[in-house]
Amino acid sequence: VAATVDTPRARARMGRLERIWAKPGGVLGWLTTTDHKRIGLMYLFATLTFFGAGGVEALLIRTQLAGPDLHVLSPKAYDQVFTMHGVTMIFLFVIPMTTGFFGNYLIPLQIGARDMAFPRMNALSFWIFAASGLFMYTGMVVGQAPDAGWFSYVPLASREFSPDRGIDFYALGLIFNAISTTAASANFIVTIFRMRASGMSVNRMPLFCYAFLATSFALVFALPALTLDLLMLEADRRLGFHFFDATAGGDPLLWQHLFWIFGHPEVYIIILPAFGIATSIIPTFTRRRMVAFPLVALAEILVAFIGFGVWAHHMFATGLSTATTVYFAAASLIIVIPSGIQLFAWIMTIVTGTPAFRTPLLFIVGFIVFFLLGGLSGVMVAAIPFDQQVTDTYFIVAHFHFVIFGAAVFPILGGLYYWFPKVTGRLYDERLGVASFWLTFVGTAVTFFPMHILGLIGMPRRQYTYPGGMGWTGLNLLETIGAFVLTAGLVLIVVNLAHSLFRGRPAGPDPWSAPTLEWATTSPPPEYNFAVIPAVTSPYPNWDLADRRADRHALDAGERVLDAGEQTPSSTVLDAEWGEVIEPPSRSGRPVLLALALMALFTMLLLEHWVTAGVFAGVCALIVFWWHGDEASATPVRGGSLPIGMWGMVMLVFSEGALFLLLLGSYWYLRFRDTHWPAPGAPDPKVLLPLALTAVLAASVAPVVLSARAARAGRAGAACRLLALALVVQLGYLAAQVLLFRHDLLGFSPRDSAYGSAYFALIALHHAHVLVGVLLSAGLLARLGRGLTVYRVTGARAIALYWCFVAAIAVPVVLTQVSPSL
Amino acid sequence: VAVGCSALASGCANNGQNALHAKSPQAHDIGVLWWWMLAVASVVFLGACAMLVLGWRRRGPKGLPFVGESEQVNQRLVVTFGIALPIVVLVTLFLVSNVGVIRATAAPKPGTTRLTVQVIGHQWWWEIRYPGTPVVTADVIHSFWVPELNRKIDQIPGRANRELLYADHPGVYRGQCAEYCSLQHAHMSFYVVAQTPAAYAAWLRAQSAPAGAPPPGLAARGRVLFLATTCSSCHAIRGTSARAAIGPDLTHVASRSTLAALTIANTPADLLHWISDPQHVKPGAKMPKLALSSSQFRAIAAYLRSLR
Repeated sequence: VAATVDTPRARARMGRLERIWAKPGGVLGWLTTTDHKRIGLMYLFATLTFFGAGGVEALLIRTQLAGPDLHVLSPKAYDQVFTMHGVTMIFLFVIPMTTGFFGNYLIPLQIGARDMAFPRMNALSFWIFAASGLFMYTGMVVGQAPDAGWFSYVPLASREFSPDRGIDFYALGLIFNAISTTAASANFIVTIFRMRASGMSVNRMPLFCYAFLATSFALVFALPALTLDLLMLEADRRLGFHFFDATAGGDPLLWQHLFWIFGHPEVYIIILPAFGIATSIIPTFTRRRMVAFPLVALAEILVAFIGFGVWAHHMFATGLSTATTVYFAAASLIIVIPSGIQLFAWIMTIVTGTPAFRTPLLFIVGFIVFFLLGGLSGVMVAAIPFDQQVTDTYFIVAHFHFVIFGAAVFPILGGLYYWFPKVTGRLYDERLGVASFWLTFVGTAVTFFPMHILGLIGMPRRQYTYPGGMGWTGLNLLETIGAFVLTAGLVLIVVNLAHSLFRGRPAGPDPWSAPTLEWATTSPPPEYNFAVIPAVTSPYPNWDLADRRADRHALDAGERVLDAGEQTPSSTVLDAEWGEVIEPPSRSGRPVLLALALMALFTMLLLEHWVTAGVFAGVCALIVFWWHGDEASATPVRGGSLPIGMWGMVMLVFSEGALFLLLLGSYWYLRFRDTHWPAPGAPDPKVLLPLALTAVLAASVAPVVLSARAARAGRAGAACRLLALALVVQLGYLAAQVLLFRHDLLGFSPRDSAYGSAYFALIALHHAHVLVGVLLSAGLLARLGRGLTVYRVTGARAIALYWCFVAAIAVPVVLTQVSPSL
Repeated sequence: VAVGCSALASGCANNGQNALHAKSPQAHDIGVLWWWMLAVASVVFLGACAMLVLGWRRRGPKGLPFVGESEQVNQRLVVTFGIALPIVVLVTLFLVSNVGVIRATAAPKPGTTRLTVQVIGHQWWWEIRYPGTPVVTADVIHSFWVPELNRKIDQIPGRANRELLYADHPGVYRGQCAEYCSLQHAHMSFYVVAQTPAAYAAWLRAQSAPAGAPPPGLAARGRVLFLATTCSSCHAIRGTSARAAIGPDLTHVASRSTLAALTIANTPADLLHWISDPQHVKPGAKMPKLALSSSQFRAIAAYLRSLR
C-alpha cells in the first residue's frame, strides 16, 4: 500500500504531492472544486436528497392507495406526485447516483488515474444536474408540477389538455438535465478509454468500468431522442407546431417512438451500473475472480447495444402492425441472453467461491433474487398477447419496480456499504447493516410482489383510487405496509452510515482485501489519489501483491510519480501505454457560473421572455469563451495518440449526429404516414439554391482543416488566415440561409401543418449548428491570434472535426429539404 | 409461494375484471399462456435460488460439489444456463405466444363478425355506437380493456384500431380504461353485456327509440328545466330539442345500472347527488356544478329517472 512507504525520499515526494494538490476547504472550495471525489460526494448528497423527495412521494402514493376511496390526495395532487416520483427516481436519483457518485468517485480510482479526463466539465455536469433538479422541483413548489406521467404521452401533454406550465417544467427541466448527463457520459467514455494506468489494457479493465462504459455510450446515443422529443413537444406547446397533432399531419405515436427509443436504453442505463457494482462486490466477498470474465464483459456491452432495438415493446397495445410487434418481441427476447450470462456468472462465482455474506454481498444476493423476478416477468411481457393483457396494469408496475428498485437500487445500497470505508476511512456497523438488509429485502418483496397479482386481477396503474369490492383492497393494504417496512430499512441504512461516519472503527486502506485499485490507496484517498501511478498486469490488480510492492519501490525511486504539477497521465486506448502527461486547470468557478447562466436561460424560456433568454444565451457563450482562457497543458510522452480534447469533440459529434438522424427519421416517418406531402398550400421547396449553398458550406471546410494542419505544424499566421477565410465564407453562407429561411416563411409556416413543422425544424437545427460552429471558429481565431499552445492546437483540430461533421450532416439535411421537389 | 399467491388471488377476485377468469376463448388462451410461463419461470427462479442456497451452504470449500475447482466446468455451466437453455425456452415462448396465441386473439378482419360497434373514449366516459367501427378516441389516448374477454387496445388520435370481443356465455363483463388519461382515469369503467341475439335485438330497439314524454308533475317540470338550463348544451335526449354531443346521450339514462362511467350506482339518491354536485362525486369531471336550487335538481332527477 502506497501510504505505508517510509523512506526519506518517499516522504519528501509525498510531501511535495500534498503541497501541489492541496485544496482550500470552505464553501468556495466546494463551489470551485474539480476533484472527482468531491464532485462525487456532492452528487451523493444531492441525489440522496432527491431520493428522499421521491421516497416521500412514493409513501404518499401508497398511503392514498392503502384502502378504497381514500382522500389523502386530490386527483390532481396524486397525478403530480406519481409523475414527479417517476421523474425524480429516474433522472434525479438513479442515474446521477450511479454515474454521478459511483462513477465519479470510483472510476478514476479503479483505473489508477488522478482525475477524470475533463475535470471542469465534470464539475459543470454536477452543477447543471443540481440546477435542473431545482428547476423541476420549482414547478412542484409553485403548484405547477407535471402531471402527465413520466412518459407524458401526447395529446395529454399537449397545451390543449395540460394548459398550465407543469409539462414545460418537465420538458425544459429534462432537456437541461440531459446536457449534464451527456457531458458526464462523454467524460466517462474518454476517461475510461484514455486515462487508464499503464498496463491496464482493455482485457484487464475491471468489469465495473465495462459497465460504466456501456452505460455512457448508451446515454450519449439515447439522450438525443429524449431531447428531440421534448423540443418537439415544446415547439408544439409554445409555438404552435404540429409534430404530434393528428389533425394536421402529425402523429401522437411519434412521441411514443422517440420517447421509448430513449426510454428503453434508459432501462439498461439504469441497470448496467448496478451490474458493475455487483461485479465489484462479488469477487471481493467470494474471494475469487469472476467466472467467465470475458463473457460478462461482452454481455455488458451487448445489453447496451441490443437495448436500442427493442423500444416498441412498450407500444404493443397501440395497434402497430403485427410484423412490427413480432420483430420487437423477438429482439426483446434476445436481450435475455446477455442478461442470463451475467446472472449465472454471478451465481456461479458465489457458488464456487468462499463467500462471506457481509452486508454488501447480502444486498447483491437480494439484487440477484429481485433481478430474477423482474427479469422473468420481463420475459413474460415479450409474449405480445400476454403483454397486451397486463400492460398499463400493476403487473407492469411490479415488473419495473423489481428491475429498477430491486435490481438497480439494491446494488446501490450494497455499494454504499461496500465503499463507505473507502470514502470515509471508517467501518460501518455490520449488525445494523445486516438488519437493514433484511428490512429492505422484506419491505421490497412485500411492497412490489402483490402488484403482479393486482395487475392480473384487473387493476390498472395510475389510478388515484379504486372502488371497494374489486378484491384489490387487501393486497393494496399489504403493499402499503410493505412500503413502510421498506422505508424503515432505508432509514436504518442512513442511520447506520451517519453514525459510523463519526463513531465507526478506522477502516484502513483495504478492509475487504478487495481486488481493484481504489483499495490500493489510503481511505479516504488523498487529493492526488495515488502517489505512484500504478502499473497493472491483471484485472484484479490489488491482488497482485508483487505489483503493488513494485509501486512502493517506484515511489522511493521517483518513477511514475508525476510531481511537477497537478499531473496525470493519459494513455493509449487499447494497451494503456502512456501517451501524454496532462495538467488540467485545477479549481474553477466557471462551471458553477455557467450552470447558473444556463438555469437563468431555461427559466426565461419557461416564462417565455424570449429576448431575455437570448441575452442569457449570449452570457453562456461568453462564459464558454472565458472558460477556454484557462488552458490545460499536455506533454506528449510518445507520438501518435489523439489528444483527449479531440475525443471530447468526437463524443459531441456522436450526440449531435444522433440528434440529426432522429430528426431526419422523424421527418421521413411523418412523410410516409401523411399522404399529402408537402402539405396542401405549401409551396414545393427550391432545389438549386439550397444545393448550391450546401456546396459552399462543404467547400468552406477545406480551409478550416488546413488551418488546423497549419496550427499543428506551428504556423500560427497561416492558421489564422485560413480560419478567417473560412469564417467569412461561413458567415456569408449563414446570411444567405437566413434570407432563404425568411423567404420560405412568407410561403408557409411551421404552424400550418406537420410538414411545415418538420421542414423548418430540420433546417433551423442545421443553421443552429452552423451558428455554433461560427462562434467556435471566432473564439478560436481570437485565441490563435495570441500565439499557439498545445491547448489551442487541439482546439483547432477539434473545431475542424466539428465543421467536417456539420458539412457531412448538411448533405442528408438538404436532400431531405428538397426531396418533395425531386 | 408465487404460484400459491396467484392461484389464491385469482380465485378470490370475482370482480368481473379478472384476467385469470377467462370468459372467452381468447382470454382463455392468454390465461393458459400465463400459467405455463409462470410454471417455467418458477422452475428457473427456484433453480437459481437453490444455487444461491448451495453457495451459502458451501461457504468454506471452493469449487463445486463432486466437480471441485474447474474454471472450464464453471464456464460451461454459465454457457448452459445463460445461453443454451434460454435459447430453447425463448424460441419456444416466441413460437407459442407471438406466432400462435397472437393469431388466436387477434382483431378480426373488418366485416367478419356478427356485430361491429364503435367505441369512442372520452375524458372520462365511453360512447358506444351501434353499429359502427372502430375503436377511437375523442380527446387523449385511452385504452379499451375487458380482461375476461380479450387483450386491451389503445385509442389514439388519428388511428382506428380494432379488437375482437367474444363471450362464451351471456353475462356482464367489467372493463376499464387502461391508459392514463388524467384526473378521472380511475373512474372510467364500463360493462360489456353479452346477450342472446333476441335479447340484444330487443334492447337495441328500445335504446334506439326516442325518449317518451315524462309523467306530469315533478318530472315534467324537470324536462322543462333540463331543456332550459345548461344541461342541454352538453347532452342529447333524442325526441327533444337537446341535441348536444359533448356529454353522454341521456335518452335512456334510467335504464343504465350505473352513472359516471361506473363511478356510482344509478339509484335516485346517487343520481340526485351526481347532478347536484358532480365535482364532489367525480372531481375534475367535465360536468360543472350548476347553480340551481335543490328543488330544481330534484325535478331534473325525476325527469332523468323517467327516461327508461
